Amino acid sequence: MASRERRAVSLLAVLLCQGVTVLPVVAQPTLKVGAIPDQNPERLNRLYGQLADELSDRLNVKVRYVPVSNYPAAVSAFRTGGLDLVWFGGLTGVQARLQTPGAQVLAQRDIDARFRSVFIANTSSGLQPISSINGLTSLRGKRFSFGSESSTSGRLMPQHFLAKAGVTPSQFSGGRAGFSGSHDATIAVVQSGAYEAGALNEQVWTSAVNNGRVNTKKVSVIWRTPEYVDYHWVVRPKLDQRFGKRFTTRLQKAILGLKPTTPRQVTILELFAAKRFIPAQASQYKPIEKVGRELGKIR
Amino acid sequence: MIVPVRPTAPALVLLPALALLPVLIVVLNGAHGGGAEILGSFVVGAVSPSMDPALLKALLIGLQVTVATALTGWSCSLVLGVLLGCLSSERLWLTWSLPAWPAIVLRRLMALPRSIHELIWGLLLLQVLGLHPWVAVMAILLPYSCLIARVWRDQLQSLDPSRLQAILQTGSSPMAACMTALSPAMGSVLVSYGGYRLECALRSATLLGVFGLGGLGMDLELSLKSLQFHELWSGLWLLTLVTIALEQGLRCWRSWGEQAQFGQRQAMGFAVAVGLSGGLGGLWLAHLFPEAGSLNWLPVQWPDLHSLQLAAQELPWLSMLWETLILTVLAAGIAIGLPPLLLLLNPARPWQHCISGFWILVRVIPPPLAVLLLLLSNQPTLAIGALALGLHNSGVMGRLLQEGLEQQDHSAQVALTSSGASPQVGWLYGSLSPRSPSHLAYGAYRSDVILRETVVVGLIGGSGLGWQLLESLSSFHWAAVLLLITTYAALTLIGEWLSDRSRQHWLQS
Repeated sequence: MASRERRAVSLLAVLLCQGVTVLPVVAQPTLKVGAIPDQNPERLNRLYGQLADELSDRLNVKVRYVPVSNYPAAVSAFRTGGLDLVWFGGLTGVQARLQTPGAQVLAQRDIDARFRSVFIANTSSGLQPISSINGLTSLRGKRFSFGSESSTSGRLMPQHFLAKAGVTPSQFSGGRAGFSGSHDATIAVVQSGAYEAGALNEQVWTSAVNNGRVNTKKVSVIWRTPEYVDYHWVVRPKLDQRFGKRFTTRLQKAILGLKPTTPRQVTILELFAAKRFIPAQASQYKPIEKVGRELGKIR
Repeated sequence: MIVPVRPTAPALVLLPALALLPVLIVVLNGAHGGGAEILGSFVVGAVSPSMDPALLKALLIGLQVTVATALTGWSCSLVLGVLLGCLSSERLWLTWSLPAWPAIVLRRLMALPRSIHELIWGLLLLQVLGLHPWVAVMAILLPYSCLIARVWRDQLQSLDPSRLQAILQTGSSPMAACMTALSPAMGSVLVSYGGYRLECALRSATLLGVFGLGGLGMDLELSLKSLQFHELWSGLWLLTLVTIALEQGLRCWRSWGEQAQFGQRQAMGFAVAVGLSGGLGGLWLAHLFPEAGSLNWLPVQWPDLHSLQLAAQELPWLSMLWETLILTVLAAGIAIGLPPLLLLLNPARPWQHCISGFWILVRVIPPPLAVLLLLLSNQPTLAIGALALGLHNSGVMGRLLQEGLEQQDHSAQVALTSSGASPQVGWLYGSLSPRSPSHLAYGAYRSDVILRETVVVGLIGGSGLGWQLLESLSSFHWAAVLLLITTYAALTLIGEWLSDRSRQHWLQS
């Protein structure tokens, strides 16, 4: 009997020891970086060490890459302090800054100030290239797919331009638009004919065409949208208190200073599909905020 | 005199397969060859997965994270689930001569955690706990422990009460009576059902990589986003290997237990293994994320009544509910009916092995990927979502059914076939028939899971409660999120009530 009791006690101890692992651990300040690029995001997930090392060497602080691939999760993690520096899309960056008072815009890519989306169509859909925005009305009654629901270039701005032309998602075939989940998936579902048309980031489209990953006999661009602003680096407020004087400025300089001079910097710029980073201001993103509010993505 | 007409037990199990009819009609009607090139490259990816060292390294690190999360979540959910299951069993309260209403209240309350998908729990917990490895563990823990509690409670309730009563009559304490009368039967439930939950936890942990933990699922998701099929398959094959290893490991464990006739000791050993793996998983997570820090509760602002009213007016209730119900019913029909149907086609051994392989494949392919693949040769309809979800879950149901069939006595089937019945009929009445009640019971629990999984295919289907929930979450529209979650819970409660009623009606008469 005694040995049985002893066994029961040790079983209980084993069950309880799970709790120990939740106890706090004292940590040094670490800069937590998150990023979900539009193009080949899986590469950054494998080569993040390069970015962390580069920033760490330039700033003399510990840098850790935090893999958050879900947009709403990244916004929430930024608000709750789980992420300090994030590469946000236009819409998600605005959402994150509105939820985190004092957060700052640090930089964008050279291409982000003049970003565009493309509307593509399956050639058998009978859709013709459009010369002005009003031509988007030809999409009424067609099967249409956006990309991810939080994407600026794959959903927000295309939906905005459609609304300007008087087209709402309820007018598409089936009474709604599809959401393929990503830019590359949008190309795939339109090329296959599952959807007759779709909208995506122009940069992703161009590189997919250049890499021969698109069958241009089956799918082609019918319209390029006007320019708008997209991706940007956003930092949490009060980093200077945690990492030392003028840290935020130094961080901005480190990002702006990335040039294709060393192999590591070449890789980093490649991962973000950027030639270089340029300074950016919060005011540039006001139009995105307005569109976000109009379409109910910002409350 | 009116004789009530009731289908026989095996017919009841095969009946849900009728859901395949409307789904296949729609799917075959919309089929086209437009996505052949992309589907082809998916198949090519399967036979030539990428062996890039950087990728393999990321996958192996990812696998550690996923396994550690799964072990911890599984272990904690089993401990908590068994506890909650006992607490929500009316029989145990009555044994202690206490009123049974707390058990009923608890059981109803557990519908909420159970009705919400792990991914949504993760996003909600992130709001109040911040980014932390234990957010992923808790996201698994909440729905899992409540589902396990439901299964545990139903099993406790369905045991023959006469032994318990007899022991109580002798004047022994309620605790001793329960341990003596109930623990042998419950021990075998713990081992078989508990073991199966580990694989479920592994799949859930794979989905949860998106919350800052990384893991195998994150790599799969990102590779899927950019349609890098060679790299996607490296991850899928790894997941397949782990799934097979786990299945074989559990099979060895079971056969060892059967041979040794150490039912009780086996259950004890299993309980120790559960505890150890929880501790191990927790320490492993702490080792993988040394800077995680402690868990802090952050303040939340609840939506007020006015914003709830506004959100209620905004949501398209009718179409949303209709689409979700259709999706759930069709997918559940496929998940429950397809496994016995496929096994019935040919009860011979080699075919059954092929089918086991098929179950593993459909379990390993995540539903969003399945939807995309189906979409490449079809048109976007609800049927695609139902088929993807149904096939994925039929893998789970098929595994459970096959496991049950292996464990049971084959004498009835042998007797039937030797008396001249065809192999199909012999299998149907000799093997499937005795398994029918438990297959249907597991089917009812699966329907719960399918309802909450409509979130995962909602995106591509662009429809139903699931899509609305993701859309509201990505707009941070908390009033709508609260309403949608409540709706999920209400549907789960109705589903539970229906399955309880139908079980009483069909099987216990």
